[in-house]
Amino acid sequence: MVACYLQTLCLGVVKWAPSLLAVATGEGENGGEHSGGHEGPPHLPNLIGLITGGHGWAAEWVNIIFAFSVSVFFIIVAGRVYANRKLIPGPFQNAIEMLVEGMYNFLRSVLGKDARKYTPFLGTLFFYILTMNFLGMIPFGHSPSTSINITASMAICVFIYAQYTGISRLGIVGYIDHLAGQPRNVISWCLVPLLFPMHIIGELAKPFSLALRLFGNITGEDVLIAAFVALGLSALGFIGSPIGLPFNIPFIFLGILLSTIQALVFTLLSTVYILMMLPNEDH
Amino acid sequence: MDFQSMLSLSLPIGVGIAAIGSGVGLGRAVGSAMEAIGRQPEASGKIQTAMIIGAALIEALTIYALVVFFILQGKIG
Repeated sequence: MVACYLQTLCLGVVKWAPSLLAVATGEGENGGEHSGGHEGPPHLPNLIGLITGGHGWAAEWVNIIFAFSVSVFFIIVAGRVYANRKLIPGPFQNAIEMLVEGMYNFLRSVLGKDARKYTPFLGTLFFYILTMNFLGMIPFGHSPSTSINITASMAICVFIYAQYTGISRLGIVGYIDHLAGQPRNVISWCLVPLLFPMHIIGELAKPFSLALRLFGNITGEDVLIAAFVALGLSALGFIGSPIGLPFNIPFIFLGILLSTIQALVFTLLSTVYILMMLPNEDH
Repeated sequence: MDFQSMLSLSLPIGVGIAAIGSGVGLGRAVGSAMEAIGRQPEASGKIQTAMIIGAALIEALTIYALVVFFILQGKIG
């Protein structure tokens, strides 16, 4: 509730400040970066943008700054828990252990006995994406997953890790055999020229679909929330109020649901891509 | 009709058509999963996992339309 009002308020500040400034300096109306109609979808203001005023290198690197702060936060939390670990855990260690164990149990239902090996990578991916998605709903926050570069880099990491898993677990020959559809008799040997390009295209299409799905969902969700904040502002605009009606509250709940599901889907699909590379499957 | 008004007319319609297709697909997938869970409640964990994967793959098609929308939105002007 408070968060919604803060978000509304901060959009109000940024929306009205340029026009006040323009009136004060008599520059006329060329508008701020948030009031124009032709710069793409609406955005809520974020901390970096407010500090730098939308100029300079920090405003261009805002996604990277937020993504790095998320990872530094996780490194500090994990480092503290690991350095102070005890046999009888305290409340903080207990909470972290609960998260890790929940992730492990979930991955074990998909990967089976290999889950222990892949839980660190996939679990980190899940909590990293989840935190990045939630950042967009915090006042003055901005979720880095609305940039396709961030999601594409994670998808490329997953792609390289899956190929590495395949080559190291199956061997080079087994890997090419897997890509060729494991030909064992005459008919499947005849199908190799068809199946081999198809598998390669399939492998290359996976990171694209991972990156675009996360990017599109989170961007859509943030634009939706920003659009309803702007609608709430314009509903009270006739009396010049800087605080709008909180039209965005239902979409905050939708955003929480969507962020969790998208983080889960990214992790689950990465798990499945790794699983398809493991030798113990029969397809 | 010039290029920009054609874009601003057709982009939302395109996203809407994609949403219709993926809505039909999601309805079928989730409905079948619910029926399967109702028939075999003990297998609900596995069915849910498979359902989420399928739903993500279906929904990605609408997201592609949305991404095209975001890409071409700057050209409307």
